[in-house]
Amino acid sequence: MLDLDIHIRLKRGSFDGEMAVHITEPVSGVFGHSGSGKTTLLHCIAGLVKPDSGLMSLNGETLFDTEKGLFVPAHQRHIGLVFQDAQLFPHLSVRNNLLYGYQRLKPGQRRFELDPVVELLEIGPLLERRPGQLSGGEKQRVALGRALLYSPQLLLFDEPLAALDDRLKKQILPFLRRVRDVGIPMLYISHSMDEILYLTDTVTLVEHGRILAHGRYLDVLGQADSSELVDGLDLRNVWEVTLLENNHEQGYSVAALGQERLILPPASAVVGEVAIVSVRAAQIALSRKRIEGITIQNQLPGKILRIIHRRHGALVEIDVGVVVVAEVNGKTVEDLNLCKGDKVYCLIKAQSLDYPES
Amino acid sequence: MTLTQDEISAVVLSIKVATWATLLSCPFAIAIGWVLARKKFPGKPIVDALIHLPLVLPPVVPGYLLLLLFGNQGVIGHWLNELGISFMFNWKGAALASAVMSFPLIVRSVRLSMSLIDPRLEGAASTLGAAPLAVFFSVTLPLALPGIFAGLILGFSRCLGEFGATITFVGNIAGETRTLPLAIYTASHVPDGDAEALRLIVLSIVISLSALFFSDLLTRRVEGHLGLRATDA
Repeated sequence: MLDLDIHIRLKRGSFDGEMAVHITEPVSGVFGHSGSGKTTLLHCIAGLVKPDSGLMSLNGETLFDTEKGLFVPAHQRHIGLVFQDAQLFPHLSVRNNLLYGYQRLKPGQRRFELDPVVELLEIGPLLERRPGQLSGGEKQRVALGRALLYSPQLLLFDEPLAALDDRLKKQILPFLRRVRDVGIPMLYISHSMDEILYLTDTVTLVEHGRILAHGRYLDVLGQADSSELVDGLDLRNVWEVTLLENNHEQGYSVAALGQERLILPPASAVVGEVAIVSVRAAQIALSRKRIEGITIQNQLPGKILRIIHRRHGALVEIDVGVVVVAEVNGKTVEDLNLCKGDKVYCLIKAQSLDYPES
Repeated sequence: MTLTQDEISAVVLSIKVATWATLLSCPFAIAIGWVLARKKFPGKPIVDALIHLPLVLPPVVPGYLLLLLFGNQGVIGHWLNELGISFMFNWKGAALASAVMSFPLIVRSVRLSMSLIDPRLEGAASTLGAAPLAVFFSVTLPLALPGIFAGLILGFSRCLGEFGATITFVGNIAGETRTLPLAIYTASHVPDGDAEALRLIVLSIVISLSALFFSDLLTRRVEGHLGLRATDA
């Protein structure tokens, strides 16, 4: 599906980067603060920046090799890039922006056609407009479509939501998920772990021009615990649930999460639909027993898969049918003598759950 | 206002010389403007200074240098003569002199408009499979077009006013190299030439004002264009 092998060195002014990572997961995130080198890494992968030395290959094809004097330029790489601020061509209509890369493909290389992509991203009414007449969110959707229509073998995202306000972010997130689900490998750069976790649980941590760790985010957090990048990082669980019941009069909804029923704040989705819900790991409490006579309505039984000790507290991974991550303090783990394999209840207040898409 | 044959000839010649000079400069000015806006190379400040030299030198100097290079015995002129091409004492020479003098103005305008284009737009084009030449023609050039037009108008106006380099290089020959400024200069030296000089001056003002008006129109278009880009960011 994806085999991206990177081993590069690059010095620009005060930035001194040496980055090595092997990414095989089809969808993964790159997390780091601004100035950490994550955008540089992305531009090196796209071929917009030439590293000083090293090696890079994608799906067996060498893109860069200083020893052989090889550098495949961006336009021959077939790697799409969605910029933070869309970078639509202002002198072309939305339609011609969408078709810019598509027209450069041989018919046999085209995996997507205009109409389905326009439908997927709901940009039909915008086709004849100029980019200057679009809102920020609309621009970003057109940029997504433009990259998608080029049928890239890898799609890179450079903080595509960073320039948008919260309301617009929520509008774009579902489209990012849709693009993910069409099966193009994605590398998603962000300084927001929430956004990354919303799309994938695989992440590469970048700090000061170095790759700190790469893998499933819980493993990665364990590995890189001492770095200030992940210290105190607020983690979220993101789940797909199927709505079972909407009770707007009493102000709650019920959804299926694996085999369990989850009480939620009122949902805007219709019964039977899939909704995305999220909850901060720190807002999930653990209990040995089911507790009666308490206002916490969600008590999901599960088994502890593992416990990751961090500098401040511990992350407990629990299998309740889906994976739940709870963040508790280290003392609690000791006091309750929590161990791998133990049965626990995850206590989640309905009000602590929210819908990142609405 | 009735014009004599010589006066009409001066006006027509001026417009012809300025048009050819501008057209001659255009492709080179775009290429060099692009190189200066986008490329880094050793010696760039020297290239930059050389291109701007005609703007700061007394016009007689480039005129004299042209004479040395393109005169019938000149380094290049000698060689061109064998091919049957001569710039001496004809309108082609006047066009060459005007082109050299107006070149820096056009380059400056092209360079400015190209450096205002976000390089990431060109990056976006190349990640969509466009080769460098395709990026230039589909993104850079169209976006720089208003600036290029404005530069060409500016250059055209400069050509209309060209005097020093022209008279030094190709002389002041009625019907061949006597453009409007040269005709005015000549008239002002002839007894009873005041009326003719005045008529030519009025003509000059009309032509130059029209060019400026046109240029202003295009400059406003550039600004509109940049405004669009500003809301884009």
